[in-house]
Amino acid sequence: VLPPEKPLQAEEWNKLREDFQLPEIFEEVMLNSMIRCNSPIDVAKSLLTHLAKRDGDIAYNVLVKYLTLCVQQGQVSEIRDVYDIMKVRFKILESGAYNLLIKGLSNSDQWRMALTLLEEIKKVMIPSRTCYESCIKAASHHQEMKLAFELYNEMMAKGVVPTLDVLQSFFYFSRGMNGAELQKELFGILLYLRENQIYPHKTFMRSIKLWFESIPGGNWRGRLTKIKDSGQCPVCNHQLEDSNLTEEEYSNLSERIIRDVIHGTDTFRKTSPKEFEAFQTFVESRLPFDIVIDGLNVSHIKSRKMQCENLFDAVNCLAKENARLLVLGRKHMLTNSSNWKREIMKEMQNKADFFFAENISEDDAFLLYATLRSGKHCKFVTRDFLRDHKACLSDSVTRHLFRKWQRGHQISKNKCFSSVFSQQPPFHYDCVVQTTGDKWHIPYKDVFEEKYSYQVPRKWLCIQQK
Amino acid sequence: MQSANMLLRKIVRNSVLPFAAQHGMKKDSFQLSRTLSLSLCLKLDKSCEPSEKLDLDEWKKVMKSGLQEEVSETVSEPKELSSLAAARETLEMWRLAGRAVPEKISEEQLKTFMECPSKSAKKKYLKYLHIKELYKKNEKRKMDEKRERRLEAQDEASKTDETKKSSFVCLWSSTMDKAYNWRAAQSMIFGQPLVFDMSYEKEMSVREVANTVRQLVLSESCNRRSVDPFHIHFCNFKDDSLYQREFIKHYREAWDKLLITVTDQCYTEIFPKDKLIYLTADSPKVMKTFDHDKIYIVGSMVDKSIKTGVSLARAKRLGLETAALPLEKYLLWSTGAKNLTLDQMMHILLTLKDTADWKKALEFVPKRKYCGFVNKPVKDLKKTLDLINTLKLGKAREEVEKKLARNYPKK
Repeated sequence: VLPPEKPLQAEEWNKLREDFQLPEIFEEVMLNSMIRCNSPIDVAKSLLTHLAKRDGDIAYNVLVKYLTLCVQQGQVSEIRDVYDIMKVRFKILESGAYNLLIKGLSNSDQWRMALTLLEEIKKVMIPSRTCYESCIKAASHHQEMKLAFELYNEMMAKGVVPTLDVLQSFFYFSRGMNGAELQKELFGILLYLRENQIYPHKTFMRSIKLWFESIPGGNWRGRLTKIKDSGQCPVCNHQLEDSNLTEEEYSNLSERIIRDVIHGTDTFRKTSPKEFEAFQTFVESRLPFDIVIDGLNVSHIKSRKMQCENLFDAVNCLAKENARLLVLGRKHMLTNSSNWKREIMKEMQNKADFFFAENISEDDAFLLYATLRSGKHCKFVTRDFLRDHKACLSDSVTRHLFRKWQRGHQISKNKCFSSVFSQQPPFHYDCVVQTTGDKWHIPYKDVFEEKYSYQVPRKWLCIQQK
Repeated sequence: MQSANMLLRKIVRNSVLPFAAQHGMKKDSFQLSRTLSLSLCLKLDKSCEPSEKLDLDEWKKVMKSGLQEEVSETVSEPKELSSLAAARETLEMWRLAGRAVPEKISEEQLKTFMECPSKSAKKKYLKYLHIKELYKKNEKRKMDEKRERRLEAQDEASKTDETKKSSFVCLWSSTMDKAYNWRAAQSMIFGQPLVFDMSYEKEMSVREVANTVRQLVLSESCNRRSVDPFHIHFCNFKDDSLYQREFIKHYREAWDKLLITVTDQCYTEIFPKDKLIYLTADSPKVMKTFDHDKIYIVGSMVDKSIKTGVSLARAKRLGLETAALPLEKYLLWSTGAKNLTLDQMMHILLTLKDTADWKKALEFVPKRKYCGFVNKPVKDLKKTLDLINTLKLGKAREEVEKKLARNYPKK
């Protein structure tokens, strides 16, 4: 249905309604299409007038639809009128209407009214993220940074997660403003990015850069750069934090892997206590390894080759560097078959240690255990992203630790089997927002860059104080 | 139609000017009538004056006018709402806004709603209640219609006044019940045992347990109706468990009279271990034939949040043999998980027991999950498919031959 171009009389509405297939939902459909076509507000008004005269009342959902149209067009006085009507007519409103009202009012010079509305919502429910964001943006737009941060902290305390957009607005609107308190709050946001391993996008990064450079008397200067593989910043020659976990983090992670990933709710789900014990004694007696290989995963690298040949290539290539290898596999690899030739298997067992798990056990869990047990220098080889194992970890802190450790220790691209692995080589430096007080290094991603969760951005913003 | 509209519009446009003056006057009289109140007179008012200039903000007046009275009534009410009442209000508003929210909600449901940990959980719960309400309404409507039709039919029958002659007294359902119970009783003595492992309560949410029990009730009834029923065992069944409470909800007094064995013992304590086979979709072994001397175990678990390997772990711990249905072998699987509902399992096992016909048994797998039956084993099918592909792609043919020669040098 196309909405009419001009306000209609009651009879005309009636006629349109009669011609419509489902007269009961005519008003709703009509208003929806008005919202879609961004019709003049007078047309909608005429429909409402018609409804009011016919029924003596207008249904709540119709009012909300009309409100949507008003917000869309920024008709502030109209929004206020609708609010007045709703407020007398209904005891409380639902979140949809509140969202619209706040969004509509916060973009206008009546933005303070949005704040009173926010207070009103708090009486009955936790305001939505968009409500907070509209209010925060309105406050910072009007240079009321203190108020904006109050709202921000309140929202965080309630467990409402902010979008990058709102975080950016803090930097954008704080440009050129002075004040130790303000600086502290903004540094707090940067640390929030660090703790949650969030990477700002390019426009956000630019806001950060401009804010730093605009601090009166701060003498900050930011430059865009790419960090060398060694982890050194080409601009300021600063060495970034390395990707190794601390002693405490390391032991914490190994403990949690054993508890959550290997045992989980029931040790029998991934292995059996007997098998795990056998594996533990096997590993302890041969420690430490330099590289742990997921045999089955590696054996599928090239589909045209026999599976054991693939594994053989990988073992040969890694063994050359005089490393202690451990290959994890399953028992079926030992039975002579078209894919697993006994002679080749024998030859490999001279070059590396092998552990064969039961055919129904999960070898990935063993891979993690053996690598972690061998120490910080030990790396592991697999194409698997290990997402399911990460998911077994119960809290986000440990999951972040796991990702960090994985980034530093997973080999998946190597000279001898290049082009097959799509992951990045292990990093020697940690890819998070970091600071030394007079220097900040902030990784960022391009706005439209498609980034997988396992990838980290390669571009950095280097900010230093002269 | 359009031309009529156009005409109408023209008339309106033309008539706006002459009526403008009149309009001012109208407005006054309208306000007078409003103090008396309401829209009814407005409507009457309107009908005699077909075309008049539009007052676009008139709806506001109407909305506010109807309200003034209401407000004076509600003012004395206390403003602070208790959290329950507030939740009820919010729900009401959501309903008005057209969201999937039930019309009526009990105190208990409201509490469950408020205890939902997240927004999406709340939404889901409300939608569930809403759909349940719709079902109930529909059911009721259908029942009413049925009753009406029956009354009509009775009227008709009494008019024609026809006496039926039959050598049986019409006692179908109770006779059938007796016959079924007789068979079930026989199965308790001579029948092949079938075990339902009731030790999964901890792995499930309340909803999942309720679903499990529902499926078990269906299984039990279809077993009772079969020609040669299993002797059903509920093993690891704890008294006063969630399972039991749900069962009593379904069966009421009949729960104690069911012709099945319910025990808190484990199946390994009742039956010899070497006779037990745990059926689980995760098993690496595939069932070839139905063995009449074995005792099959089915885990009583509905698993909505993909917990793989739970029942396999249980079998591994007890050192039992496991088996999975040969779904891949007989069906061209398309979508959906390989785990089936308990009543589907029951149907399949009963059919296997009676006929040993896999095709017939696997008819009970939901049709949406597979494309069709496989006559040949899938492996053969894949080989033929490969062959067809190589013949089609002439240029790739040599390559494939080379590959074959390399992989199988002796052949």
